[in-house]
Amino acid sequence: MSHMTNPLATPNQLYKRRSFSSLPTELQDAIFFSAQCLTQAAGILLQLPQSATAQANVVLARYWLVEPFMSREFNDVSAAAIYLIAKVGPSPRSPRDISNVYAYLLSPNSSFFRAPTSPPPVNDPSTYFLSDVAYQTFHNRVLAIEARILYALSFNTHVSLPHPLAITYLQALDFLGARKETVSKRVVEYLNTALLSPQMLYLTSQPNALAVAAIYNAAKDLGAKMPEYEWWEVFDVDREELGFLVVGMRSVDGWARKMREDVPGMKEGMITRRMIEDEMKKRGLQIRNGHGIEEESLDAEAELARKMDEKIAQMEAGA
Amino acid sequence: MDGKRHPSSFQQLEKLGEGTYATVFKGRNRQTGELVALKEIHLDSEEGTPSTAIREISLMKELKHDNIVALHDVIHTENKLMLVFEYMDGDLKKYMDTSGDRGALKPMVIKSFMYQLLKGIDFCHKNRVLHRDLKPQNLLINSKGALKLGDFGLARAFGIPVNTFSNEVVTLWYRAPDVLLGSRTYNTSIDIWSAGCIMAEMYTGRPLFPGTTNEDQIVRIFRIMGTPTERTWPGLSQFPEYKTTWQMYATQGLQTILPQIDPAGIDLLQRMLQLRPELRTSAHDALQHPWFNDLMQPQQQQHHQPQQPMMQPHRGYQQTVPSQATYDGY
Repeated sequence: MSHMTNPLATPNQLYKRRSFSSLPTELQDAIFFSAQCLTQAAGILLQLPQSATAQANVVLARYWLVEPFMSREFNDVSAAAIYLIAKVGPSPRSPRDISNVYAYLLSPNSSFFRAPTSPPPVNDPSTYFLSDVAYQTFHNRVLAIEARILYALSFNTHVSLPHPLAITYLQALDFLGARKETVSKRVVEYLNTALLSPQMLYLTSQPNALAVAAIYNAAKDLGAKMPEYEWWEVFDVDREELGFLVVGMRSVDGWARKMREDVPGMKEGMITRRMIEDEMKKRGLQIRNGHGIEEESLDAEAELARKMDEKIAQMEAGA
Repeated sequence: MDGKRHPSSFQQLEKLGEGTYATVFKGRNRQTGELVALKEIHLDSEEGTPSTAIREISLMKELKHDNIVALHDVIHTENKLMLVFEYMDGDLKKYMDTSGDRGALKPMVIKSFMYQLLKGIDFCHKNRVLHRDLKPQNLLINSKGALKLGDFGLARAFGIPVNTFSNEVVTLWYRAPDVLLGSRTYNTSIDIWSAGCIMAEMYTGRPLFPGTTNEDQIVRIFRIMGTPTERTWPGLSQFPEYKTTWQMYATQGLQTILPQIDPAGIDLLQRMLQLRPELRTSAHDALQHPWFNDLMQPQQQQHHQPQQPMMQPHRGYQQTVPSQATYDGY
């Protein structure tokens, strides 16, 4: 049993997720990013330690590696991930608290994913009031997804985070001669931002590599002096992986800014399945409700069968 | 974890027991005829899948060992979760009640059970898992004399750095003094304390420290092991439950309370029942203890090897704990 490492995505899983989804890549990425941001926002309102919220982010990514995006409402999946992780950890949160927080974040009163308006919205509790019935239906959906997540993860909810490792590495590197607080803060910022990356960096790299890449980026930003030698090798990270992660981590911010400009609906609160469906219709694309792979292969089979029938008919006609 | 398997793949037989969050039935695999233990966990409409069940499944899936009860399968339906375990004939509590002499077991049986118990604990600890709830009811026995650790509902994995844990763990009677004193940074040594309590109980048929409350539990331990002081236990006064009003008890020799245990056994017990967690022996070291030298291993029995001398000095064995003055066998 390993506590310092995580189960990683196989290349096959990553390829399938990209290629067999019926959603265009930029919509997949938008869904992933907004759900991860929503999870972070909920973690803050639920006053969860960031270590718990970050674990929920990773669990959410693992779940979406194997389950299609469109099979469940995005915010429900986010709520289920955070409910599950809080429950198995030292700071469980009540279903009612979770429901209230999500009701608020999805209400027009919340500033989550909204363009800054000149006057902030007037506080109107009725927009995020959750009746008993609404609460019960929401929570039932969350529990159903919780069971799906446990099944998809084979009950392995353990997530090893790079944050404590990064601090240990910084200590070993004597904080690169920079101010302890400044460099540590920058490192943690990189690690938290990486949770939002649609490249799913926490599913492609082990915590030690993430920690080293965050330190490398923080040192670059702050102009801190890194050791002359190939210090990352001391932490079992090779140059190639470090390079990939350094670029991956640095690109999240710029990518997210551009995406929020380009993808429609990203300024109207949390995106929903309905918004994605409408967008797909607008583009004249079909959603196969996450069953792209099966239907495609069915189509291919039907096509093959039809061709064979034609061939046989030709042969019979010839004979 | 095969999603296609269904609860009806198993014929449900008699109820074996009821736990805090689950009911256990004897069952039979309809296809193979194999006996199993079915642990049924009702899914609460409020809580969903209990965290204890999630922990138990995630740990048991990985912990494959002869002295840990095997988890064969998990069947998840809408309103219940069914864990399929290998079948065991009973637990140690029941075994002591039915096969013991007023609960007390024969020395060679105890030695075999202790060896298997420590083997199981050692495997957990090597895999960075604390059981946290060892007691006779959680040790399962089969007709071949095998002992296996069960019920990992309270178990948890420990990583580095060690988080602070809840101190609401381990049944009171087998709870280590540091946990009773409010420690939240306990480690593998809490399972060793429990194992020591279980060893004594197998000899006498009665629990060693049958406390009724947290406070009473502490006093009962001190009455036998002696009341610690800041001098004998540096840092003692920093514990949340530290009291200046404790009555000062002198240390009683374990051999006077437990005259039925041979000197080597007393020495091992002494090492497991150290008040200070850092002085408690580990499962790995305990398994090397000379008390186990005359243990008939199954393969040794087959080859009729000459029995090893009881008091064979053991080179690799480090005496980190001062043994009782009246006993200096080696």
